[in-house]
Amino acid sequence: MSLLEFDGVDKYYGETHVLKDIDLDIEAQEVCVVIGPSGSGKSTLLRCANRLEEIQNGEIRLDGQSLSAPNADINYLRQQVGMVFQSFNLFPHKTALENITLAPTKVRGVKKKQAQQRAHDLLADVGLDAQADSYPNQLSGGQQQRVAIARALAMDPKVMLFDEVTSALDPELVGEVLGVMRDLAEGGMTMMVVTHEMDFAREVGDRIILMADGHIVEDAPPEKFFNDPDSERAKTFLSKML
Amino acid sequence: MAESYSGESTSERVDESVLNDRTLKWIGVAISSLFTLGIFALVGYIIATKVNFELLQTIFPRFVDAYLLVLRIFLMGSVLSVVAGVFVGFGRVSSTFPTGAVARGYVEFFRGTPLLFQIIVIYFGIPALWSGTFPIQDWEIPAAIIALTLNHAAYVGEAIRGGIGAVPEGQMEAARSLGMSYTQGMREVVLPQAWRNALAAIGNDQVILIKDTSLLTVIAVPEIISVFRSVNSATFDPWTPIVLTAVAYLGITLPLGFVVRYLEDRSDWGGDSQ
Repeated sequence: MSLLEFDGVDKYYGETHVLKDIDLDIEAQEVCVVIGPSGSGKSTLLRCANRLEEIQNGEIRLDGQSLSAPNADINYLRQQVGMVFQSFNLFPHKTALENITLAPTKVRGVKKKQAQQRAHDLLADVGLDAQADSYPNQLSGGQQQRVAIARALAMDPKVMLFDEVTSALDPELVGEVLGVMRDLAEGGMTMMVVTHEMDFAREVGDRIILMADGHIVEDAPPEKFFNDPDSERAKTFLSKML
Repeated sequence: MAESYSGESTSERVDESVLNDRTLKWIGVAISSLFTLGIFALVGYIIATKVNFELLQTIFPRFVDAYLLVLRIFLMGSVLSVVAGVFVGFGRVSSTFPTGAVARGYVEFFRGTPLLFQIIVIYFGIPALWSGTFPIQDWEIPAAIIALTLNHAAYVGEAIRGGIGAVPEGQMEAARSLGMSYTQGMREVVLPQAWRNALAAIGNDQVILIKDTSLLTVIAVPEIISVFRSVNSATFDPWTPIVLTAVAYLGITLPLGFVVRYLEDRSDWGGDSQ
């Protein structure tokens, strides 16, 4: 049994068929990088993995438990799936520290003192303990995204989803966010990363998945993916990207 | 061609223009100064020649009573209309049937008919539904508060609907992705931001609520305009009660402005957000 399993997943937006019979197993501690042209369904795939999008066919399982079943305890399961968004989505009315402590105290019932201690540790891990009392709009984009990562980690998720988390950043701020993600990967976190950062994919990814038109068209370790892909689609994609 | 856009020729052209920034600024200063002077002169003239200070002292206590009554009606109507407005706002953003439709109908009715009509319906209409004598004594004050509450709850509800709509969808998604329920996401994340977004509009509406109490004169509530009318018809002196009327209304609306500004500053969240 793999940690995160997609089993024959179909997703439609009205008439549009965005995910077509997706089968994908992600092992514990694996870093799975999802790339592909826009509109290929890669963000949708990620959003289905914590049920921000409903699927129409198939099943998605986390640690053997169905995420997609109608009677799934979704609030419980989502605690185990951390998500980081392209647009950060920090809570503007809360400080960096409060952004991190909100879910643990409200959802898990963790004591405030304990949650704050943990939040300080997490902020230190992403290099932002000095900014604990800053509001999001007092932080740069890169700092906000690092707080968002710390916020997701505070729920001790089994898997972390990253949805184009550097796409909204100024170029000089991309590195600090990728650095935090690299540390996480080295620490053994299971990660699913949608990105356009090919260098990051090559260095940190254990496995690269190329999506096109709702299908997974290539699934290979970075070595093979970048040097000797099987599919024609991957070859044309790489010739445009590199 | 490019040379004609150099700094020198541009500044020359601006200086030739009659309506440049400096001229406009001085025209503004001149008009506003004249206006202010004119107002002060007019008010000074009226107070010196048209206000009867003996009468002013006599009628002052009646205006104090009216002021306190309007203040009480406003405070009751304000609290009730904001609380009811929150529910109307929730109803307006609800996608479940019939909640959304009922809230929509409520807002359309109370915004689509005059407040004066609503006051009449509640004050005259409701007691007429009883076959015997209507059980509530001095119905005009409760009727006034009910009418103002129902009417302004519609406007507050729309302000709150707009405030909720202005919170980006990603906020609720972030809350849900952390395992919060819809209710928790609403309470902890969306509503505090919606409240701030709606605050200016709600504040505007509450100022209007204060002024709307003047309509209560038609159902014999002894509010400020009623006192003016009674003094004026007994003495044929308009200006003495007019001055007190103005002071009484501003004595409620100006402090309310400070309260709204304080509430806005309190949710500043470290500068201009988003």
